[in-house]
Amino acid sequence: MSNAIDAAGAKMPRPSAPARGLRKGKNSARKVKLGEGEVVLRVISYISVSLFAIFCAVPFMMIISASFSTESEILRTGFGLFPKGFTLTAYEYILASPRQIVGAYVVTMVMTVLGVGVGLFVIAMTGYALQRQDFVLRNAISFFIYFTTLFSAGLAPTYIWVVRVLGLRGNYLAVWLQLLLTPWLIILMKNFARSIPYEVIESGKVDGAGDFRIFLRLVLPMLKPALATIGLFIALGYWNEWYLSSLYLGSTVEFKPLQYYLYNIINTANALRGSVAGANVSLADLPSNTLKMASAVLATGPIVLLYPFVQRYFVTGITVGAVKG
Amino acid sequence: MKRRQFIQAGALSLAAVAGAGALVSCTSSGGGNKSGGPTKITMLVLGDKPTNGRYQAMLEKLNPRLTEQANVTLDFFFVEWADWQTQYNVQLLAGDSSIDLISTATDWLFAWENAKKGAFLPLTEEMLQKNAPKTWAQVNSKGHWDLCKLDGKIYFAPEDNYTQWTNHGFFYRGDWATAAGIPNGTITKDEQLTTYFQWVKSNKAGVYPWDVAATNDSALTSYLQGHTGNQTIQQVSASSYYPFQTTEFDPYSITSWYMEGDDLVQAANQAKKWNDIGVWREDALNYSGDTRSEFFAGKSGADQHHTQTFVGAIWSGMTTKQPGSDPKMYWFGQENHNIFRDIKTHGAMAVSANSKNPEKALQFYDLIRNDKTDYMLLSYGIEGTDYVLTSAGKLDYPAGYDSSKDGLGTDFWAGRMDEFEPVRATDDPDKDAVYSKLDSIAKDYPYSTLFFNKDAIDPTLAAIGGVLAQYVPQLEFGKFGDPAKAITEMRGKLAAAGWADAVKSLQADMDKWAKAKGLK
Amino acid sequence: MCAPAIVFFLVFAYGPMPGAWIAFTNFNYADGIFGSPFVGMRNFEFLIKSGQLWLLTKNTILYNLVFIVLGNILQIALAIMLNEIRSKYFKKVSQTIMFLPYFISVVLVGVIAFNLLNYDTGAVNALIVQAGGDPIKIYSEAGLWPFIIVIAQLWQSTGYGSIVYFAAIMGIDNSLFEAAAIDGASAWQRIRYMILPNLKPTFIILLLFSLGGIMRGNFGLFWNLIGNNAALFQTTDIIETAVYRMIVSQNNFTASTAVGLYQSLFGFALVLFVNWVVRKINSDYALF
Repeated sequence: MSNAIDAAGAKMPRPSAPARGLRKGKNSARKVKLGEGEVVLRVISYISVSLFAIFCAVPFMMIISASFSTESEILRTGFGLFPKGFTLTAYEYILASPRQIVGAYVVTMVMTVLGVGVGLFVIAMTGYALQRQDFVLRNAISFFIYFTTLFSAGLAPTYIWVVRVLGLRGNYLAVWLQLLLTPWLIILMKNFARSIPYEVIESGKVDGAGDFRIFLRLVLPMLKPALATIGLFIALGYWNEWYLSSLYLGSTVEFKPLQYYLYNIINTANALRGSVAGANVSLADLPSNTLKMASAVLATGPIVLLYPFVQRYFVTGITVGAVKG
Repeated sequence: MKRRQFIQAGALSLAAVAGAGALVSCTSSGGGNKSGGPTKITMLVLGDKPTNGRYQAMLEKLNPRLTEQANVTLDFFFVEWADWQTQYNVQLLAGDSSIDLISTATDWLFAWENAKKGAFLPLTEEMLQKNAPKTWAQVNSKGHWDLCKLDGKIYFAPEDNYTQWTNHGFFYRGDWATAAGIPNGTITKDEQLTTYFQWVKSNKAGVYPWDVAATNDSALTSYLQGHTGNQTIQQVSASSYYPFQTTEFDPYSITSWYMEGDDLVQAANQAKKWNDIGVWREDALNYSGDTRSEFFAGKSGADQHHTQTFVGAIWSGMTTKQPGSDPKMYWFGQENHNIFRDIKTHGAMAVSANSKNPEKALQFYDLIRNDKTDYMLLSYGIEGTDYVLTSAGKLDYPAGYDSSKDGLGTDFWAGRMDEFEPVRATDDPDKDAVYSKLDSIAKDYPYSTLFFNKDAIDPTLAAIGGVLAQYVPQLEFGKFGDPAKAITEMRGKLAAAGWADAVKSLQADMDKWAKAKGLK
Repeated sequence: MCAPAIVFFLVFAYGPMPGAWIAFTNFNYADGIFGSPFVGMRNFEFLIKSGQLWLLTKNTILYNLVFIVLGNILQIALAIMLNEIRSKYFKKVSQTIMFLPYFISVVLVGVIAFNLLNYDTGAVNALIVQAGGDPIKIYSEAGLWPFIIVIAQLWQSTGYGSIVYFAAIMGIDNSLFEAAAIDGASAWQRIRYMILPNLKPTFIILLLFSLGGIMRGNFGLFWNLIGNNAALFQTTDIIETAVYRMIVSQNNFTASTAVGLYQSLFGFALVLFVNWVVRKINSDYALF
């Protein structure tokens, strides 16, 4: 027993290459008999996960049901788990002029796909380079990158910089570029990449390949779960973003990124109600509760499908992750 | 393998997107004056950018006229409502040279602060006389350019030829007021509100006497304005409060009901009484629902806003949706005539300091402000499509028009003119009577030309705002068990925040101004 | 190979940094950041004068600590339990569901919270009444809100945060687990001696990143749940919300930049200290 546990916890040379190569990739069925502790753990796991999933789902169900409800019912009795006075009015209203929301989808999807493509590549490259023990500058550069999370210039200086110096106002690049790399993802990737054994790199060097080719041909394929995780985070970052859009895009672009478009709909009412500005605007035309809910459902919908797609990369097998080597 | 294809596809489309991005950002490239072609003037307005194509259609009719008249064309820049305070300010921060005209206001859009910070171009008399002669003459004839001067320079043109009443008060139902025993079903003083609310609570099940959302300090203001002769100084705000006033007996000494006197305690007691009666929801402070809809639906006995909303939207809304409800309005300060006319710079138009075509911008402004056809197109759109004129000459909308979908959205309120504004079919027919009644009792805001230099006391004002924000919300909804005690506590903290310093600085500015005017 | 990243951060992070000087000036548009008159520490004064600095700092840090500690524990626990799930279908569905809260705008979170918790029509009070109790004025009870806010925050971020840990667990060599099972290791031993140690580096990285932002609160969440309800400020006001409230009426960027600097300095000092401690224990885990 002590052998196996030590092997896992301590710094030891990797298991031999053939053993790795035989990996079947999925959780191969464990033929070993399950101990009592195992069963208890499994039962607890199923129950807890179910409870938590319900906890996450309930508010969302409330949103969905509200989006299919009648406004007056909602005003009277609040939200519930099931639609009150089932109606499609809110969706009809949004989809009546679908141009806006379709445009918002397209913009967000393009930004997300491109962002993941480019960002993931750069992050993987940087993370890999930073964990190479033979890279002299690695600590300096790590700190250089990390420091940017400690000190940020703040709204006004960054805004002046991006708009006046870089001239990116009204340009989707102002948003897209800023979300491309995050320090924490780079450091995370660096951590994941640590498990790439040096022998692999050495063998590449022996074959005469340069650093970049080693990275591209040998290392990248070994990083699948890491790439999946980080790619997912980048995608979520783009999908969810509205703050940068509100600052740098505002009304200058015809199609707003999705969450910003949604934020606009939801917040216009709040903004107007609380200010003198409301003097000049007819408050009767503000979006109702059900409209806000319908917008939320439409904005969230597609991303839900992303995770199952990515999940298949979360496989055991190739030793990637937090095992130190 | 898939990933490689992904990356290749990504690289290809990157070029496409970058190109598209450049195209998109290409829209606002200055006043592109292509040798002899019309100059494009961009006007910044506050409002959501409409997506129904109507204002573009309107521009197609307006721009040829403008080209012919002054060789200019118009485009809009919208600062949208969600997050408008940040957006408006960062827009000025951007130093965008493609914006020529900026809608502003001295009371809620920081016109003075922005002028001081250098966001607006100083307008010389010559410039105005040459490029906006009609506007110049009209404003000058009333001496209103003085209202727009900072350090002797003019920074914007006031919307001074437009009658609007934005004094606040309560809207209520005349039918219920009558049933409650209020004489004539008309509330004329603050105390009668309690009677009204009590009646609604006792007799109308499921109806809130006044369903109010989040912070709204009218419960206090209603008492304070009606029982003191205090006049609020609009130029100085702390958080979302206006803490400083003067009294009618001593209009040149700065005081405050937040800090001195007993009135605040009385007002807080009234608010507490209302809370105990159950006038509003228990959790009104966090409620963000649409209370006006509830008023229209008969679920709320009152709503709060100003006169213009009443004559424009409430009257028609209530008579349609709650027939027989006889909507009326009680103005704060109605009993002691502590009501003020709107300041002339509640709407104003400034020229951006970074504008490339200030002269043309002024020429454009002169046109839309003084030419009736241009004016109607800009504010109301194309006759027949966006609006119709009834046989009585009133403004109405075509059949099937839905203002939430079909609205023009040009949001021009920086130069409206009484003589051009049509009477709307949905206006309160008593509107003129209401206006003249107000006119007969209202006072002029005396401090329009008074500029306070707040640089040194900005931190103090922020701190004061923080203290007020800690106490006033609960005072206004009567949530303190012992309001008097809370007020004493609050006053202690206000003093600690530097209240005296702030007053000293403001008083110095006030004295200087009063002396220069020979008032003191 | 690091070149693109370096250029990126130079341009987007280090470029604007000198602009933080705005916090020490009386900024005006005409003179720009470096031409505007210098006013020393005046822009920092308002926080001190308000008398709330200590309370706000305390609240911000405490909430963040709870979020970090509790959040990570839950995320790890969740990841471990997910690993125990055998049914692929169940795993996929539950993980997808657990993601959803992350996407819900905080404005809607506030709306839902109000719907559940309010005195007149809230579901929570309805349940209490049904069970025979007296309804609680939740929006007036400051003491309840730390729990409510923590629950809301955990609700939004646990599913999302557990992914990293889950990926890390996935990366542990399966043969080691099998060997351990053959040797007769119990489930608990498996977790304690094999999984947890492997998650340690990830945990430390996340910790160090979170500590840098220890003075920065989740403005959106607090603002939308609490709003202007001063009755709750004692236990729920954080730096961001108080500052926003105080300077919203002044179109003043200098004050907010000043506060940002204060928050950054504090986080920086803390991270330096913790990183030094971690380095002493195991220099491989330290961030730098």
